Amino acid sequence: MRPGILGILLYGILLLPPIIGLLEGQMILHMLVQLPLLIFSGWLCGAAILRRMPNYRAKWNGNGIPGILVIVFITTYWMLPRAMDESLVFWQVELFKFIGLPFAGLCLRDSWPKIKLVGKSFLFLNYLSMFALMAWLYIDAPVQICNNYAAQEQQLLGWGFLFITATMIIYLVQMVFTDQSEST
Amino acid sequence: MEMIRKKRSDNSLIATYLAIGATVVGVMMIFGILMLLAQGGVLELQPAAFYQFLTIHGTGMIGAAALAGAAVMWYFLRNYVDLSKKIFGLNLLFSLIGIVMVIIGVFSFEYASSWTFLYPLPALSANAWGTIGALLYLVGMLVLGVGFLLMYIDVGRAIIKKYGSLGKGLGWDVISGKKAEADAPPATVVASTMVTIVNVTALTAGATVLIMNIINVINPSFTFDPLLAKNLTYAFGHIFANSIIYMGVIAVYEILPRYTNRPWKANRIFLIAWTMSTSFTLVIYTHHMLMDSVMPKWMLIMGQILSYANGLPVLVITAYGALMIVYKSGIKWDMASGLIFISMFGWTVGVVPAIVDATIVVNHVMHNTKWVPGHFHMYMGLGAVVMIFGFMYFLSKEDSSLKTNLFDRIALICYTLSIIGVSGGFLVSGALSTPRRWATHFPDWMGPAVFGAVSGVLAAISVTIFVIHFIRYMMVRNKGNEGKVFHERKLA
Repeated sequence: MRPGILGILLYGILLLPPIIGLLEGQMILHMLVQLPLLIFSGWLCGAAILRRMPNYRAKWNGNGIPGILVIVFITTYWMLPRAMDESLVFWQVELFKFIGLPFAGLCLRDSWPKIKLVGKSFLFLNYLSMFALMAWLYIDAPVQICNNYAAQEQQLLGWGFLFITATMIIYLVQMVFTDQSEST
Repeated sequence: MEMIRKKRSDNSLIATYLAIGATVVGVMMIFGILMLLAQGGVLELQPAAFYQFLTIHGTGMIGAAALAGAAVMWYFLRNYVDLSKKIFGLNLLFSLIGIVMVIIGVFSFEYASSWTFLYPLPALSANAWGTIGALLYLVGMLVLGVGFLLMYIDVGRAIIKKYGSLGKGLGWDVISGKKAEADAPPATVVASTMVTIVNVTALTAGATVLIMNIINVINPSFTFDPLLAKNLTYAFGHIFANSIIYMGVIAVYEILPRYTNRPWKANRIFLIAWTMSTSFTLVIYTHHMLMDSVMPKWMLIMGQILSYANGLPVLVITAYGALMIVYKSGIKWDMASGLIFISMFGWTVGVVPAIVDATIVVNHVMHNTKWVPGHFHMYMGLGAVVMIFGFMYFLSKEDSSLKTNLFDRIALICYTLSIIGVSGGFLVSGALSTPRRWATHFPDWMGPAVFGAVSGVLAAISVTIFVIHFIRYMMVRNKGNEGKVFHERKLA
């Protein structure tokens, strides 16, 4: 199956009310499953969409940095506990989520191959420290951060972030300590 | 010819790094002198101003020395791997923006938490400073960190591209016997790999704790575990400050062989020592927390034991190597070689009070006294910074025909004696149980502080002479053909 069709299919599934209910019912599923899958659906659709707009891409995202900045801003916004809370209460925020995150995925598809290794490494380390911070925030916060999720749920999400951080560190360590002569 | 032009252009950027670094070190010395004069009862200084000076002195010294140390590393490492000048320039730009933000935060908004910005102090100042001052300082530090992180990523990329992995940059394939010692990476590459590994870790930890502090300053209802915050703060600060000497030591590995016409070989023992220091540097920051009784005991014991083991392998191997390379070599002593050799003395002697303080039973008595600044003023002032000054004289000699004069030689002697005086003043204060970071002293504590201040004046004058020589070099090379003619003469 083509990636574009797969992306549309995934997006369609994520739009189904029972799936929305299921994923948004748990804080950890909301943050660490629904949001990344929305980005992934945009990334899958990206190739087909981007092929149709070569001039636009060259003009607005020639070196990939504008696209990366869009991704950083959108994903940082969605790391705020308040953003998650509001998406459950205000339909406008929910709409922004379902448009903004696939758009971030689209930008990722366009920008990632264009930016240099140093930029990629910097982004990776930036997200590494951000995820570590989110882990710390959610595990350690003495108060209930979101109105819609219990304190226990936010701790579970924190452990999820910690797991991702640890995975990223392991990936980084194996990357820099195994022979990369061929790939660099 | 193109190669020479490129090197000359790169040297301009390196010289800018060094000029900024050395000048800031000189200016920070003045703040240090003012603080010692205030503690000695000679100068009337408001406590608020004292703590602002303490903040800018600590932050500025480490930032400036790290900047100059990075220039030393970059100058020599570019001979072995393909570095990006653009990113090196970007680091300088980010650093300058960060420095300006920190200066505005400290002096315009009276931010004074010391460099440690220990959570929750940035947000809980009892109205000594406000949100804007704290944010300017914390974001400024973050911006500084971004520049350095970019530079270390580029260094890591270049090393991996040339050698295959950071492990190979540390010579692990030679240690394991897969490669012969003759094929070991050069000492400069080994040291740069080590610094890259430890500083990327430090800066990532630092970014986490800085952002956490920023969140807490903006919204104090978001609170965090203070012990974890302290761990991350020292994981960042200790490693970053410690790495300066590991960048500076590259000057020892590169300059002494040129003066003695003897190569500095990276043998198996040398590589093992650097690998040990790489691992230990990452974990020994816990010796800053030996007084935190709530820390897990095993971490504190590890802090003590590994602190002994951390500096020694590389120090012993380098100090011994320096002695051996110089012994009966017929070396011609000048400012560069003299300073580089003195730096080995400073590093060796400066480690001793550190090891004493890293002993848990001693630490409980000494850690909050001026014994600790005694250690790091000797270690940094007579070790790391002297390596940088030595490199500055080396560069001015290598890149121009500028000659040193009697003032330079007098400055070398004065600087050495004065830093011994400053450090000695601190160590004696420590032995007298004088607390550190106190704006006011009892009369019994004032003597060593005044002695330290007078020594500091001598040190500041000496640094001014070093900087004047370096600026003369920059002016000479900017005048036009001086450097070019010198290079052509050398090539001919």
